[in-house]
Amino acid sequence: MLPHRALYQTLCRVGDKVVYPILPAFAKPAWNHAAGPKTVFFWAPTIKWALVGAGIADLARPAEKLSLSQNLALAATGSIWARYCLVITPVNYYLCSVNVFVFLTGFTQCCRIANYRYNHPEAST
Amino acid sequence: MSRVASYFSRYSAKEWQQYFLSTHFWGPVANWGLPLAALADLKKNPDMISPNMTGALIVYSSVFMRFAWHVQPRNLLLFACHFTNFSAQTGQMFRYLNHNYFHIYKDPAATKAVLQ
Repeated sequence: MLPHRALYQTLCRVGDKVVYPILPAFAKPAWNHAAGPKTVFFWAPTIKWALVGAGIADLARPAEKLSLSQNLALAATGSIWARYCLVITPVNYYLCSVNVFVFLTGFTQCCRIANYRYNHPEAST
Repeated sequence: MSRVASYFSRYSAKEWQQYFLSTHFWGPVANWGLPLAALADLKKNPDMISPNMTGALIVYSSVFMRFAWHVQPRNLLLFACHFTNFSAQTGQMFRYLNHNYFHIYKDPAATKAVLQ
């Protein structure tokens, strides 16, 4: 058995023994859901919050060291996916919310870059 | 008929039109901006690389590769997008570590001033 498979099954066993009994009653059905915390369909949007976190951490970076193409790409993908999450079946508010924040951080960084270049016209594109 | 031509002729024009107008196609297309931006940044000054964002994108793309593979229906376009992004971001991370810590080789884009 590959190590990641063994690790996953260990985590599931620990979760079933330790986490499930202490869950409140309204959350118990969610534990074994097809899109629940034991599946990638839960963790994939959760990991996307790391992009938001990295974007917020990057607010401390000086504006001249930001990559315009990367932040434009983040703003574009965040806005398009936020819209799509509301028109697919089933509607996915969780994924929509994380994409809204991805768009906001990307757009904020783009504004910082634009502001820097407006105030420092010697910087070429 | 070649195998490629027979693959495409298996579906009617209407089915192809439905595919190209669906979120199953345009969602991943929107996501392709990220790897293309990363590939463009591979030639730029390594000072522009953000380690926070690059690390987060590596983890993000590896999880989404699995997501794209296991979602119903399987989305190979999204898988290809995140595979490319994972590779490009790993390359950027290596350039960042080389430029700032390990100094294994001289980065050709490093001598240029930032924002040029």
